[in-house]
Order: sequence, then C-alpha cells, then structure tokens
Amino acid sequence: MVSIAEPVVKPAPRYRFLLDRRDVLGGVLVAPAILYVLLLVGLPFLLAVYYSVSAYTIYDPSWRFVGLSNFRQIVQNPVFQDTLANTFLFTFGSQFLGLVLGKFGALLLLRQFPGRKIVRALIILPWAVPIALATVAWEWMFDSLYSVINWSLISLGVITRSDAPNWLGNPHLAMLCVIVVNAWRFFPFAIVIFLAGMTSIPQDVIDAATVDGAGFWRRNYQIVLPMILPIVAVGLIFGIVFTFTDLSVVFLLTKGGPVNATSVLGFEGFQVGIVSGDVSHGAAISLFMLPVLFFVVIGMLHFIRRREI
Amino acid sequence: MSTSKRVTRRRLLKDTGLALLAVGSAPVLSTPFVSSAMAESKTLSIVQWSHFVPAYDQWFDNFAKEWGDKNHIDVTVDHIPVGDVAARAAAEASAGSGHDLFGWNGAGGAHLYRKFLVDVTDLVESVEKKYGKITVIGRQIGYNQDDKTWSAFPDFYINFPVMYRKSMWEEIGVVPDTWDNVRTGGAKLKQKGNPVGISLGHSNDPNTTWRGLLWSYGGAFQDESGKHVVLDSKETVEAVKFVTALYKEAMTADVLSWNDASNNQYIDSGVSSLIINPISAYRTAQQLNKKVADDIFVMKPPKGPVRQIMGGAAEFYGIWKFARNKEAALEFLKHYADNWVDAFKASSGYNNPIFANIVPKPMPLLSDDPTSTPRDKLSVLQTSDEWSAVPGYPGPAWPATDEIYNSFIVCDMMAKAATGAMSAEESVKWAAEQCERIFDKWLHKT
Repeated sequence: MVSIAEPVVKPAPRYRFLLDRRDVLGGVLVAPAILYVLLLVGLPFLLAVYYSVSAYTIYDPSWRFVGLSNFRQIVQNPVFQDTLANTFLFTFGSQFLGLVLGKFGALLLLRQFPGRKIVRALIILPWAVPIALATVAWEWMFDSLYSVINWSLISLGVITRSDAPNWLGNPHLAMLCVIVVNAWRFFPFAIVIFLAGMTSIPQDVIDAATVDGAGFWRRNYQIVLPMILPIVAVGLIFGIVFTFTDLSVVFLLTKGGPVNATSVLGFEGFQVGIVSGDVSHGAAISLFMLPVLFFVVIGMLHFIRRREI
Repeated sequence: MSTSKRVTRRRLLKDTGLALLAVGSAPVLSTPFVSSAMAESKTLSIVQWSHFVPAYDQWFDNFAKEWGDKNHIDVTVDHIPVGDVAARAAAEASAGSGHDLFGWNGAGGAHLYRKFLVDVTDLVESVEKKYGKITVIGRQIGYNQDDKTWSAFPDFYINFPVMYRKSMWEEIGVVPDTWDNVRTGGAKLKQKGNPVGISLGHSNDPNTTWRGLLWSYGGAFQDESGKHVVLDSKETVEAVKFVTALYKEAMTADVLSWNDASNNQYIDSGVSSLIINPISAYRTAQQLNKKVADDIFVMKPPKGPVRQIMGGAAEFYGIWKFARNKEAALEFLKHYADNWVDAFKASSGYNNPIFANIVPKPMPLLSDDPTSTPRDKLSVLQTSDEWSAVPGYPGPAWPATDEIYNSFIVCDMMAKAATGAMSAEESVKWAAEQCERIFDKWLHKT
C-alpha cells in the first residue's frame, strides 16, 4: 500500500490573516487620511476654539480663560460688522458673477469651432495661474497712476484723466475689483462644472424639447438648468467655502482698504491674530466663518438631495 | 514555469511599509554625522526688510559675508518686503524658530517681543560709550523703562521731511512750511493737476505721517506716563478735521489705496507737488527722472498750531532667545556698529544715526551731496533729531503703542473722517475706544 504523505500546511503569519480581513484592511488604508485630518485640521481647530476663549497673544502666550468676552468685543466693533457684511458681498457677488460667466463660457465651448481644444485649455489658465502672480498683474491694471484700463479709456476718448475711476481707492469700486478678480479665478471651474453637467444630459431630451417648440432660452432655463442644478450646486458649495475663507485676493490687492471697505473675515483674522499678534481675537473672528459655512453647506446639500433625479 | 510579477495587495502594503520605515529612520541614522558636521560650520542667519535704497542691501550683504568669511561663519541675509516684517516676526516667535538676528522696520517689535528677545543692554551701553549718547528717538525704539534694559539694538531711524516741487510752489507763491499752507497751496496745485500725496492706506508712511500731524496739533494717543489714553480730545478732533479738509481740497482718492512705494511713484512721475517721505523718493527720482529730481526740494515737516514735529520709522535688531548662534549675532552687531559710517554712506543718507557721534556733523552726503543741486539740498536732514519722534510720543514706547501702530488705528481714524464714513468726532471716539481696549489688555498683563 502506498501511503501518500499529507501536505504540510504552514500556518499563515498572524498579520497576513489580519490583513486578509476586509474590515481591518479598510481601517489600515483609511487611517492615514483620518490621522491627517485629526492632526492638521482637527487639532488646530480645537486650538483655535480654545484661543478664542482665552487671553492668548503672541507676545504673552497666556491660556487664561476669558469666556465669551473676545466674541462680545469683536461683535461690538464696527470694523468687524463691516467685515462680516463685506465677506457675504465678496463671496456671493463673486460666485454669482463666476456662475454667469461660467454658463456663457460653457455654452460657447459646447459649439464646434476651429481651435476649440486650445481655447478649452487656455480658459483654465486663470484657475491654474498662482494667485499671487495673477493678483499682482491685476493690481497694476487697477493702479491709481499706471492703470492700463484707465489709459485705454483715456486714449479712446471715453473719459478724461480727471474723471478716471480710482479702482482701488473708491470703496465701492475696490469691492467691485476684488469681486471681479475672484470671479475671474472661479469662472474656469464653473465652466468645467457646467460642461460636465450639460454633456451628461441625454440628447433625446433636448431633441424632444426642440420638437415640442422650446426655443433656446426655454431649453436652457426650463430643461437644461434644472437638470444640471445638483451638479452646479456641488460646484457652488466648493466656491462658497473657498471664497468665504479666502484672504489672498484681498490681501494682495487692497490690504482690506480703503478704510476696511474690502476687509473680509479671513483677512481681518490674519491682521488681528498674526500681524497685531492678538491671537485670541483673531481666532474669534475666524471662527465666525464656521456657523455660516455650516448652515450654507447643510442647506445646499439638502437642496441637492431634494432635486436629485 | 513563469513567476508572476503581479503586485498583490499584501506585497503593496509590505513594500510601502518598508519604504516608509526607511524614510522615517533616515534622520535618526544620519543624526550623529549631521550634528558633527553642523558643529564644525557655524552659521548666522539674518532677516530684514528690503531697503528702499537697493544699494544699501548690496552693501549690507557684502559686509555681512566678508565678516562671516573672516570669522568662519556662514552668514545668510534674507530680505523681505517691508509689509511682511510684522507677520514674519509673529510667525518666528510663535514657532520658536527662525533667523538668529531679526531686523525690524517701523514699530512693533522691541517691546512686543520682549519675552522672546535676548537682553542686549551690555551691547548698547558699550556702543554708547564709544559713539556718544543715544538720542531720544533711539531710546524710544528699544529701551524698556520699567527694568532699564534694552531688548533690541537701535540701528537707525528714518525721518519724514517734506519733499516738494519747488517750481510748482513758487509759481503759486506759497511755501509749504505750515500745515495750513500745505492745504491752501495744495488746493491750488490740485486744480493744476498736481495734488499733494500723503497715503491714507495701511503702511508705515501714513502711520508715521499722520502721527506727526496729530502731535503738531497738540493731540496724542497716550500721555507722558504711558498709562492713559488721551486721544479723545479737542486737539485730536481739530487734527482730524484738518486731514478731512486736506484730503478733499488738496488730494485725490488715489491715496486711499496706497502702499509705501506709491507716494514715491507719485512725485517721481511728475504728478505730485508734495509728499512727506524719507529721501528714498528723491534718490529714486535722481535715477529715473533727473529733471524732476532737480526740482524736488527738502524741508522740515510743516508746522502745526502747537509744534513742528514728524513721526520717524525705527529700524532695530533683535536677537531671538531661540537663536542658534546668539554669540555670533552679538559679535556681528558690534562689528556693524564700528562700521556704521559706511552703512550711512551706503544708504545715501537715508539711515539716520541713533548715537550722537557715530556720524559726526557735518555729515557726509547730507551736508555736501555731489549728486544734488545745490549740493547742500539735503543739509536740513542733519537736524532731524530735533523734529522726529517715534510712535509712543510723548510717552514711552511699550507693547500697547506697538500694537496700536500695527493695527493702523491712527491711519483709519484719519481715513474714516476724510472719506465721510464717520464725522471727525465719531472717528476720534472710535479710535480712542480701540486704543483703550489695547491699553486695558496690556496694563492688566504687564
């Protein structure tokens, strides 16, 4: 009788066994991301919360608890009240302008024309160019002495030197300038969002509407727009969150001026917390963004869920 | 039989883990070698603003390098925009790491960061013994009245004289030697397309200029003891009303958006009839527009109803307590003080001396400048000790005065009234409240 030796089964190392478990492996893979969020977002956030209720300054790092007095003081400060209003105007103004430009840009780029691919690539540039470089260019375009916009208007005889608009010196024009620059940065992103949404609409839906007699405007505003609204809303959430917390355009273009007319929460928080060294008040100013963004995002996500097709 | 090269999940994890382990352990393994190498080569890192006279930066960089070569110290000098100095200092202090030697420009350093800075009293006293008494302005820059120590080495101050286009003012028959004349003459020149240009933005120039005007009207934001805010006064309201009138009659809205370079460009381009600025504007004009430069003349700041005075911007060096090479920083400053006349010349007379005899009078360049016509055009700047003061005037400089400076409260007080956002009284009240808040904070803490 021939006896066949039974194969020797080597016991698998314990870690192999663990990594073969789907739940363990999933946890291992997602752990770096969670750690990243906890260490670089969660911890600084908790620190900011504590700063805002303490008497901490850069020059005197005291952790003395002062309750809500920092919040009381900043709310009573007229500069902060203006800053809060400016932040809303800056955010929603630039998002609205960016969306309008994005919609028209997307409509144009949907059409066939020679060099369309090159134009599509070029139009992304404002989004891709480093903000510091782009804003310095805009700063010279709006300069009180060397503005190329004013120079062109004067050369064309539209205005005279004495009537030339003072782009960054007039409070209303300065706000318009920061809105325009931010919309200029945002609109390529809006184009991408609109293009993604519009190309996903089945052609037969558009054809059916056309056969039923819907013209360009009706097709756009009663068929296309409602169908792409959820994806546009997602893009808008990104835009609002990034703009509401942004300080780069204001910092580089106007330094919050003239007379705080363009100061926004991010800039004011930096100015008070870092430049003036009053970290506790700076943190309190910055934390004002949190409830606003929380409610905006929750509201928009709720809207998206209701509109999903 | 073929061996599979497929990357399995397990293999990916194993390889990634090994790679991370290798990267993570590299610093630990290399530390003994790196630290011994570091010990052999000493370093000194310096950060300071990009000087408005670029030739000065070139001189300073070479000077520092030569000193480093002689002493076998690797010296690096970083120049940053003047507007970034305050934020940079805050970042280095918060991180407890950065350059060894920090050069501040403007206010907001020596007193605010006192806890983070090495006491340089011995250094300052030794330089004072050698080069004469420190001026009042120098004392305000880095001296701590309470414990009689120096937390920073006072390097120089920047004066703010009147720079005006002589031909334009002669044409209207007005001399801009008083604030009233600046206003009335400026109004006439604005009609001719040559306005006065004094910034109402957020930068050093307006912070110093508008303080000077406030003091010349008898106002101030603190008293001589430095314990009380005295900004909400009749004198301050008058000063603010004057600025409102000056802005409306003699200036344009351009000034609301300016940085420190803007008024220089304004006069150098031939547009402005008068600015209040250090001589960098004139030096730049000499290079860019000789005709305009020859017509730019310099005089003491305008007289106000109470006194003739102007703000000055301070420049000083602090050595961080966390600096890696404090000894080298101290030695460098000693050597620098011994060669201060060269620094003065390299700055074309822009850097004004703090120590009485460090640049004996008549001062080179200022008393006889071969590039100017007439050659004594800048001689009035030799007297700037008499009409310059730094932000805390008439009281001492201390953390609260530095924070008020960094918060641009005086600039905003003027600008709010000038643009009509508030009345003069409301604007003064608002500014006084801001100052009170800062004083309260510091009086309870220090």
